[in-house]
Amino acid sequence: MNVPQMVLRWACLVCLCRGAFSSSTHKTHSRKKNKDVFLGENTKSKHGGRIDFKMKKSDSTKSLLIKSEQLLRIEDHDFAMRPGFGGAAIPVGIDVQVESIDSISEVNMDFTMTLYLRHYWQDDRLAFPSSSNKSRTFDARLVKKIWVPDVFFVHSKRSFIHDTTMENIMLRVYPDGNILYSVRVTVTALCAMDFSSFPLDTQNCSLELESYAYNENDLMLYWKNGNDSLRTDEIVLSQFFIEEFQPSYGLAFYSSTGWYNRLYINFILRRHIFFFMLQTYFPTMLMVMLSWVSFWIDRRAVPARVSLGITTVLTMSTIITGVSASMPQVSYVKAVDIYLWASFLFVFLSVIEYAAVNYFTTVEEMKRLKKGTMPASYNANQAMAFDGCFHDEIDLSPFPELPTTPNTDRTVAPRNSSSPADPPPTEGTRLWRRRSVRHNLKFIMSNSYMIDSYSRIIFPLAYLLFNIIYWCMYS
Amino acid sequence: MVDVTKNRKVKTDQLLRVDDHDFTMRPAFAGPAVPVGVDVQVESLDSISEVDMDFTMTLYLRHYWKDERLSFPSTTNKSMTFDGRLVKKIWVPDVFFVHSKRSFIHDTTTDNIMLRVYPDGHVLYSLRVTVTAACNMDFSRFPLDSQTCTLELESYAYTDEDLMLYWKSGNDSLSTDDKISLSQFLIQQFHTTSRLAFYSSTGWYNRLFINFTLRRHIFFFLLQTYFPATLMVMLSWVSFWIDRRAVPARVSLGITTVLTMSTIITGVNASMPRVSYIKAVDIYLWVSFVFVFLSVLEYAAVNYLTTVKDGKDRKLRESLPCSCGMSHTRTMMLDGTYSEADTNSLAGYTRAPNMAEDPPEKQERMVVHLSLDNEYTGPKKKRFKSFRIIQNTHAIDTLSRMIFPGAYIIFNLIYWCVYC
Repeated sequence: MNVPQMVLRWACLVCLCRGAFSSSTHKTHSRKKNKDVFLGENTKSKHGGRIDFKMKKSDSTKSLLIKSEQLLRIEDHDFAMRPGFGGAAIPVGIDVQVESIDSISEVNMDFTMTLYLRHYWQDDRLAFPSSSNKSRTFDARLVKKIWVPDVFFVHSKRSFIHDTTMENIMLRVYPDGNILYSVRVTVTALCAMDFSSFPLDTQNCSLELESYAYNENDLMLYWKNGNDSLRTDEIVLSQFFIEEFQPSYGLAFYSSTGWYNRLYINFILRRHIFFFMLQTYFPTMLMVMLSWVSFWIDRRAVPARVSLGITTVLTMSTIITGVSASMPQVSYVKAVDIYLWASFLFVFLSVIEYAAVNYFTTVEEMKRLKKGTMPASYNANQAMAFDGCFHDEIDLSPFPELPTTPNTDRTVAPRNSSSPADPPPTEGTRLWRRRSVRHNLKFIMSNSYMIDSYSRIIFPLAYLLFNIIYWCMYS
Repeated sequence: MVDVTKNRKVKTDQLLRVDDHDFTMRPAFAGPAVPVGVDVQVESLDSISEVDMDFTMTLYLRHYWKDERLSFPSTTNKSMTFDGRLVKKIWVPDVFFVHSKRSFIHDTTTDNIMLRVYPDGHVLYSLRVTVTAACNMDFSRFPLDSQTCTLELESYAYTDEDLMLYWKSGNDSLSTDDKISLSQFLIQQFHTTSRLAFYSSTGWYNRLFINFTLRRHIFFFLLQTYFPATLMVMLSWVSFWIDRRAVPARVSLGITTVLTMSTIITGVNASMPRVSYIKAVDIYLWVSFVFVFLSVLEYAAVNYLTTVKDGKDRKLRESLPCSCGMSHTRTMMLDGTYSEADTNSLAGYTRAPNMAEDPPEKQERMVVHLSLDNEYTGPKKKRFKSFRIIQNTHAIDTLSRMIFPGAYIIFNLIYWCVYC
């Protein structure tokens, strides 16, 4: 290292410094020694020219030596302390624009929302002199150096400020010290949902904002434009209809730390029923109707009726399991549960009904077998194997009983004589009214086909009644 | 002792004089807006999720602007290339993806960021990003649908007075790898647009759009949904050709096809969002379900009417003095043929008093049935005589054999014409 080089470097440094200082003054301001810099809109070129003139090894592309810290005098203040520290509470206005509601999860009982959160406050330490009233915009790097309110989302599970490609933060400083601080946040927050009317339910969720450190003596959080502070983009949810978005305000008390201002973003969601109609209610109704088909099939077709009944029970069971899979395991009964279980009961009863019919038919057969005779040539099993139904002379429909004729092999006379107290039924219903209950029960037992006839009417009517009650109650 | 391997101590900071300037402020701060050109190369479309209604894309995002503070003296016009570490020290545009759910800059093995500085201060800033953005999908024609999705770029902090975002080469700014392919979609086109977006609190911003249209491949759904549903419906028609006396067979055939259709329907809705309108695939599946259901009801009707008629015939036989009045069931057992049912029996049963009016006619018919058994339905039966097919067909079955397939074919023609 030789001395002349050092001297030259020192001289250059001195010139640079002098150049910097001389260029930092504006004609409307007196020359000051401090680093207060004012930069007008149309004086840049002038300053640039002056710098070029002043510096020795001048580079024409070098701009004004201005730092935002110098502009905003960041080094002069301690931004760890809030504006007005030790004095009155600082009012911070909040404005929210909801970009989207990403998902609403029943199983986790939460919702995910993306929003632009804007804070407005005044910090005198950031005021800078300006002839025009234009603000200065900065991005995330300045945020770390100044004071910003520490708003957090109460009851949030996960949240993050988007950071692609840079942190989505904007800071806009006005000459009088007013600040607009905007962040783009995605937050997943808790929403206590009540499923007792699911899927005809309405959920009421809210997102809550609060300052973490500063209670109401230090920071007053308020909605900047009252009820208009909350704006939404076109939010479309596939499963819900958003009834309303509303901001509100409250105070929250923490026993250890005091009273805090809390802002609420409330929204009401109404579920679209259509998907569940198509996926759950409609298949259930069809299964119940299919179980009624069993009453119209010949009661002698044992395998047919049993398999029909049991397969509808199986399908109902599958539908019930399918619905429960996407639901939280709550400890109360949901509206859809009521419907599914009532329908399951109907289907179950149709199986039980056929068991009763079959039992009484067998009882009748036994009685007839004891009293009547069967031809030796007749092989009941063989006949059944051919056409799947067992052969006998039991009359299935309530036709009037005719006197037996000699040409019929199997006599029906024993049947008539077996119950002398029971005249042949001309019309079952007429008989029903005239006899006592016990008599009618005995009658039914000996004519088990009646169970089917009545079931054909009772089951559909009962199900229709249930549906009317259910939909009136929940709609 | 001078170390010959030690080069001139040149630091980028000294070269680019980073410490001399405050790079928290944009170039030409307080001056005119800085124009930033954008260029995108789409590397891949990773996934498109119907349930979440979003898509995931990986792209190379390139920004071009001029920052005079970064110019450096150079005799050749060659640029200097830097990586992610310089980015933290200088100003770069803060472009973000509007309506994005998650996004990140890849950082393996180091941050996938490139910075290229030209002597005159032009900067090329390139990064590799994966972004998951929301896309409003309309499923009313699913799975024969086309979706149009958009990726939007905008500066977060700077309005159009501070930063002008534009597509560097107009419509050619967007290039895609040739190998972009999705398993379920055909990518029809990528194109770019540009607009201004207004935020009431913050002002007007430049927004750039990357639009692309996706058309779904139908083949998977043909194989997975349409084909099984069609087969189930055809299977339910088999029931019309089975002897109506085979009660367990026909009932279990009908009910099992209903169960299978129900399973197919549940399977399709498992991977779909819960939308509040009906989709094209729903229409097909539910109409097929109704066909299958009707075949079960048809057999219930056949069986019921058969039993009713059996009872009536038995009554008639009992009232006839004719000694040759064997039950139809009996004749059926003997020779396996059953004459065509008289459709009068469909009208419901007649009570004993009324039957007095009809008997002569019915007796006649009865006799005719028995004696002219083979000639009564002669013209029809002669064709089958050689086959000795056991004819035990109810009129409803015969009609159903033609009506059900005909109606289903018509439905298919209408459906595919409407949606294709």
